[in-house]
Amino acid sequence: MLTEAVPQARLSAPTILDMPESRFPLDLGIGIPRIRNLFHTATSNQWDPASDIDWQGLDPSGYTEEQLYAARMYWSRRAWGEYGAISESPALQIRFCKENCPADMRLYFTIRTQEESRHAEVCYRVAERLGGYIQQPDLTEFQGAVATHGVRKMALDPDTPLEAVIAALVCAAEEIAFDVFRHLIEITPHPVIRQVLKSIMRDEVRHCAFGWAYMASRVPHLSRAQLATVQEGVITIMEKVELNGYHSAWLAPDGPAARAETRVDHLTWEAGLGATVEELEKPVFIASVQRIRSQMLDEWGMKLPMFRHPRIEGEF
Amino acid sequence: MQPTVTATPTPLLVERRFPLDLAGSIASIRALYETGKKERWSPDAQIAWDALAPAAIPQSARDAGRLVWSRRAWLEYTGLAETPALLIRFCLELGRESDPKYFLTVRNTEEAWHIECFHRYAGALGGYMNRPADARWEAVINRTLYRSALDASIALDAYVAVHCALEDGLELELSKLYLSNAREPVAAQILQRVVADKERHASFGWLYLNQRAAGMEPQQKAQVQAAMQSWITHVVFSGYQIPSLSTDIDDAPLRAATTLAAQSGLGAATPAEEEQTLTAYLARARERLSQMGLVLEPASHPRLGTL
Repeated sequence: MLTEAVPQARLSAPTILDMPESRFPLDLGIGIPRIRNLFHTATSNQWDPASDIDWQGLDPSGYTEEQLYAARMYWSRRAWGEYGAISESPALQIRFCKENCPADMRLYFTIRTQEESRHAEVCYRVAERLGGYIQQPDLTEFQGAVATHGVRKMALDPDTPLEAVIAALVCAAEEIAFDVFRHLIEITPHPVIRQVLKSIMRDEVRHCAFGWAYMASRVPHLSRAQLATVQEGVITIMEKVELNGYHSAWLAPDGPAARAETRVDHLTWEAGLGATVEELEKPVFIASVQRIRSQMLDEWGMKLPMFRHPRIEGEF
Repeated sequence: MQPTVTATPTPLLVERRFPLDLAGSIASIRALYETGKKERWSPDAQIAWDALAPAAIPQSARDAGRLVWSRRAWLEYTGLAETPALLIRFCLELGRESDPKYFLTVRNTEEAWHIECFHRYAGALGGYMNRPADARWEAVINRTLYRSALDASIALDAYVAVHCALEDGLELELSKLYLSNAREPVAAQILQRVVADKERHASFGWLYLNQRAAGMEPQQKAQVQAAMQSWITHVVFSGYQIPSLSTDIDDAPLRAATTLAAQSGLGAATPAEEEQTLTAYLARARERLSQMGLVLEPASHPRLGTL
């Protein structure tokens, strides 16, 4: 049956979609070799959540009901996060095509989106294996923190430079996610969960490398004002998204929903099923922000300000 | 044909992400996704590029092949922006199943592999051409499909019916035709992969349309039918897929190139063969649509008559 026609809200702000398409001359040769290599590496390193994970080794018996519920919620939340990259990030691909960016970017991003769907699928499967995927947060107030990172809007906005979007989404947000992933692999004892995390992380390495390779090709051509816009984009995603708990529940504004999610993390971590906790993640998060700041300064000559968060002592 | 800046902003739906259902609900489409993952391939590893011996192919045939395969890359490129737009549309629209979303991520990767193969093959024959010699073809090919896919005023089901079922079905039939005429081994290998992928792409469209058609109101069916009719008149008859159908642009250079490439076994077909394929395909499509309660009216082409 067709879905009941539900009146759905619409946006009608100007976007890059309103402009005519002009794909010619259509150059498909190699423009940024590092990114073309990422496309080829990704192509030859594909994996399948259905067959490449030892699902039989993930036995839900031996855990308490409370632990299982927490782990289900944790992995469902991971799936929601990965889904954001299916629902939002493909807008970047449209942008690359509209702006006739080097073909390497346009080709690579197709497989990058497919990797995101693999990640959503594998997280969904973990939750299912542990008792069942959960379709939404327990408390609606948490939805605001996890629902969107705003990349689709930025990518379609003709006034937001592409460099700002990539710097914010990839070189900041994805770098932090990558560092936290590495930390998760280090502390997670369950072999199947570690296998899942490692499989995702292998893809994430390329996602991050893409951002830095693109920016390396662009930064020499940016004016001081354009670089300032990039800086603004990074600060926005740090303050409004990362420090608002998009990836880490303990960073979300304090309230019943954030506390419930933090509890979920704690129980999942305690069970060895993949999460981390504030005490362990905090130094990783701070070090990640510092590393990103340092890399942006070294490679782009761009200085990020210090950040503050109520749950982190001092500036970082 | 040249699209212009829209008078008003393209309306986009506002996403309501939760509850987020990620379970499989259309088994046939989930199976396409699973098969796509299993049958993953690599243009570099699975195509024996060294088997191509350009020196053994006459210069005139190589030039013809370059043009044919370059044009193929230009058309396949449409998917690079269209598929992500369609994926986003499925995510924006309330209550849409997860299966098409997963499937489309694989489809887009396959389109990228096709483009890379077409570009490389044209290059091996003497050089990829980055634009049509006759600039009027650019307007035919710049279709802004990504805009249509995201435009909230266009029904998603109508979009899928036209571009995923009907159009991808035609692309599949033409690819099969080209494969049947590919004596050159590398062209054949590429087209074998392309046909296998496009089988899934076309299946997706028809399966999804079949799923949705059962619940369509007469008004929605009329919308779908009108969109299909418009596609035949404004896209197919413009020569987008089959240049000889254009009545506005002289297709003589392309006609000569496709004919020579076909004669040389470079994975092409003559305009007459392409037109026959279209005619036969539309007849089958019409029958298939009628089983879903959808009517594809005959369309009149100035030269071919009623199709």
